[in-house]
Amino acid sequence: MVERNLPAETHMADPFVSEPIIQEVDSWWRIRLALMRRSFRDNWKIFRRNKIGVFGLVIIAFWGIMAVMPTVFFATGFWSPAVYDPVTGLELDPPTRTMTMVERITDPNTEIDQRAVLLDGRIPDTLRIGDTFDLPLQPAPPDGRHWLGTDPLGRDILSQLMHGARASFFLGIMAAVVTVVIATTIGSMAAYFGGIVDSALMRFADLLIMIPGVALLIVIGAVFTYQLWHLAVVIGILSGFGGTAIVLKSQALAVKVKPFIDAARVAGGSARHIIFYHLIPNVMPLSVLYMMFTVTGAIQSEAILSFLGILNTDTSWGLMMNLARTQGYLLQVADFWWLTIPAGMAVTLLSGAFFLVGRGMDEIVNPRLRRR
Amino acid sequence: MTARRLPLETSAGRAPLLEVSGLVMRYETDAGEVSAVENVSFSLGRGEAMGLVGESGCGKTSVALSLLRLAPDNARYQSGSVLWEGVDLLGLSHQQMRQHRWAEISMVFQGAMNAWNPVYRVGDQIREAMYQHFDPPLKPREMDQRVERLFELVGLDPTLQTRYPHELSGGMRQRAVIAMALSCEPKLIIADEPTTALDVIVQAQILEELKEIQEDLGLSVLYISHDMAVIAQVTDTIGVMYAGKLVEFGSTRDVFHRPRHPYSYLLLSSIPSVTGPRRRPVSLEGTPPNLLAPPSGCRFHPRCPWATEQCRKDEPPMMEIGPSQWAACWNSDQVPEMGEQLP
Amino acid sequence: MIRYVTRRLIQMVFLFLVFLTVTWFLLYILPGDSVALKYAGNPNIPPQAREVAMERLGLDKPVLIQFRDYMFNFFQGDLGVSFNQYPRPVVDIIGERLPRTLVLFLTALVTYYWAGFVAGKYLAWRRGNRGEMAVTIGGVGLYSMFLPFFAFMLIWFFSVQLGWLPISKFLDPEQWRDAPFAANQVFMRLFWVALIAAFAMFAANFAGHRSHSRALERILRVGGGALVIAGFLYYWFGTESGQSMRPYAGDIAFHMILPVLTLTLIAFAGVMLLTRSSMLETLREDFILTARAKGLPEGVIRDRHAARTALLPVVTSLVLAVATVIDGGVITEAVFSWPGMGEILISSVLNEDIPVAVGAFAFIGVLALIGHFVVDVLYGFLDPRIRVTEHG
Repeated sequence: MVERNLPAETHMADPFVSEPIIQEVDSWWRIRLALMRRSFRDNWKIFRRNKIGVFGLVIIAFWGIMAVMPTVFFATGFWSPAVYDPVTGLELDPPTRTMTMVERITDPNTEIDQRAVLLDGRIPDTLRIGDTFDLPLQPAPPDGRHWLGTDPLGRDILSQLMHGARASFFLGIMAAVVTVVIATTIGSMAAYFGGIVDSALMRFADLLIMIPGVALLIVIGAVFTYQLWHLAVVIGILSGFGGTAIVLKSQALAVKVKPFIDAARVAGGSARHIIFYHLIPNVMPLSVLYMMFTVTGAIQSEAILSFLGILNTDTSWGLMMNLARTQGYLLQVADFWWLTIPAGMAVTLLSGAFFLVGRGMDEIVNPRLRRR
Repeated sequence: MTARRLPLETSAGRAPLLEVSGLVMRYETDAGEVSAVENVSFSLGRGEAMGLVGESGCGKTSVALSLLRLAPDNARYQSGSVLWEGVDLLGLSHQQMRQHRWAEISMVFQGAMNAWNPVYRVGDQIREAMYQHFDPPLKPREMDQRVERLFELVGLDPTLQTRYPHELSGGMRQRAVIAMALSCEPKLIIADEPTTALDVIVQAQILEELKEIQEDLGLSVLYISHDMAVIAQVTDTIGVMYAGKLVEFGSTRDVFHRPRHPYSYLLLSSIPSVTGPRRRPVSLEGTPPNLLAPPSGCRFHPRCPWATEQCRKDEPPMMEIGPSQWAACWNSDQVPEMGEQLP
Repeated sequence: MIRYVTRRLIQMVFLFLVFLTVTWFLLYILPGDSVALKYAGNPNIPPQAREVAMERLGLDKPVLIQFRDYMFNFFQGDLGVSFNQYPRPVVDIIGERLPRTLVLFLTALVTYYWAGFVAGKYLAWRRGNRGEMAVTIGGVGLYSMFLPFFAFMLIWFFSVQLGWLPISKFLDPEQWRDAPFAANQVFMRLFWVALIAAFAMFAANFAGHRSHSRALERILRVGGGALVIAGFLYYWFGTESGQSMRPYAGDIAFHMILPVLTLTLIAFAGVMLLTRSSMLETLREDFILTARAKGLPEGVIRDRHAARTALLPVVTSLVLAVATVIDGGVITEAVFSWPGMGEILISSVLNEDIPVAVGAFAFIGVLALIGHFVVDVLYGFLDPRIRVTEHG
């Protein structure tokens, strides 16, 4: 009886009373963690049954391994950096083809058969018409040393492909994280506060979803030199304040009307507490789903910007195709397939795989779809 | 004891309009076969109103859909027949069946909200059915007059026909659904939970009107409901279904006042009576069986307070109890009279 | 309906102002290589142009004054002068390119939405989970196909290997050497002819859809279609202006096949998957059961009831897709060297021709907003529930 009448300050200052509060926070987290672990296990069971999602996951795993391989290869000495580095590597001893001199051409850079360009771009002066000589092939087709051949600059395609995977993962995941952090916060805030905060944020989101993203990224490239992480942040902001925020807001609205939010409010939880401890954890599953779709978009955007030569990056699938294009190999698919098909398919497969995983997760997040 | 067949001649001695006999229908699912309708037989005469009651999932809607052959694609008709004026509907081609629908048998679906396509005007959706079934086709003028008459018949302002479904209230929509069901002058209307989504007052009005229309036009109506009270108000005969089987059939008066199947008894006893003798409401324990693997013998035995060894082993046939009452129970004489306290 | 449209229109104008503001601040206030720096250090800019530009844009003035001047000039139609084609006004360049983009873009949009919708409709109607996985993976595969890669594969196959179609560009310069028309005149004519034909087709279909007698519907649909085609042929072959322009229009159409095919193949799968799931959802609705119970023929249930209602979410998705579609158009133009808005956007960015880049982007934004507006109105037209109860 006496204790109950003590002023609140005394309560807070009392070390014996504050201790259980810490414990409570601790156990609160433990409960949350246990819940997450359990829901992860349950959801995995559902996800596993979805063949399409698992198919996507397998592709992602494949590219994940690809992204790690260069480290292993360089560390074990299987690849020497001088030859296999994706940017500075150079095959000094490329395969050759025996050619016969038919006609002397003054400007070998422009007039000679493109397939027979020497490493230094010249044909020895001593050659006469009718002589044969060994022409080093650069780009060279796949062989035992270079499983996917080399590019016009004598660099290993497989190594570039693997490093490109690394860049794509970095960019995609970073863009997705930025998106989801922004979108979850914005969406939850808009849902919780409603009114003018809501309308302001949502009108802004309406505007962002109307803007053609790739065109915007391109025009930003006019005044700003992109690094990969800049791109991730810009994509994250565009999608985080835009479409993803709208979706997550409607989800947060659905959570907001549930009784436990009222309970938290009655218990005296502050807005910040309710948003971060109650609203956001419940919006999280949908956030993760939209992370997948953001990754798809980010990988595609990056590939397009580096294909157009707007992105300032040195290893990227888009850049591989850019090189093939600027060197004029793009339309010789039958003869130089290794310059275009691996990179093009890589973009398609990895971005598609994230999309498939997203679709697979859709069935977990939207129980409405979970039938049959 | 030998099982007697249900009578082919009903109350007034008229030839039955509809005769369902030994209907067996199962759904093929990934988990196995669901026995949705098991050996159901009944008949319905012209101008008669019949009710089918039972808990949700007992197969009453499956029976109704079978009459129109509208059951989902995975439904399989194993045996039995649905005779409509002597013609087996299950044997008709899709084309012939289509001509039967609505012109002969129409349906008032549960949840009138969803029975309307949201993007078309109510009147147009009624006209659509009439375009399909009148031969020679009605002239636009006649069609308009017909829709107006139908709306008046169900107590709606004829101007409402130019509205979209979402512009009508729940009660109006349900009335309009009834108007649509009447549009092609069918002989039978199947009313599947016609009033479930409505509030009690509107529910009573609509039931009243349906009954009047039925009597005025000499229609047959098959009511389907989980609500015994609704059924009792408007029907002449009642069939009680449990787990895909018809367990009791008879005149409404008999079944309502002296149910002879334990399930009907418990179902009726769970309704508190305002006018009748005071009694303790009885609850029906347990849950309906899994139809993937229905119980042996009588399907009701796991929940039946009077179940015996025989019930577990042998399936009871429909047995005649009185002049107009049949029940599928080995121990129908054990079932107490309504109002008696349970032992 | 009129109130709905007016409201949307006002919203769009407002959104456009916000869009211009955001774009301006984004580009002119961005850290790093700011516009001022680009102007001052760009070797492409003729010295006299630099002075004019610096003065006109007032790059030394306070930010808000700069912004005011920019907005003021924009609405006077003054977007500055190109650096690379000095002293050509940006508005002039955009005016030249806009019709080319519109023709390509609208053709592709109509083709792939139609193809996707029809494909999705039949896939859902056939139902059954058989092939669901194949359809989804195939659809997602096409949908997430890297556009430039796919475009070059198609160019390689159809133009290089088979030699059926032109590799790039929008016309054959040989044929146009002494043409009596400017390319843009032809583009404008194509645009109007297509618009009128599309409108007539739509009107016939709509009238058919409204009529309740099946026979009348068929007459209106088939007859309307035939009439449109007849009018189309009559224009190109029968009238003098059509006849004289026909070979040139034909050349442009010939050059359009591959870009349109590329965009269609990439984008239709998304529409197809969406239509399919929307249609499957609709087929479970009670009103489909009602339609069956009414004894309507299967084709009527599929087209008038299921597909018509399933169209609504597909059109909604178009609202969100406008931006994506424009992005696809920009990339396609770049790949095919189709001299439209997207191509000028990319080439001006690569050449650091900032006034052109910003101007082109602003107009792409206008296109997106107009597209958005049209879709909104179309949706209101298709969904009666929107017309009456309208929020936000």
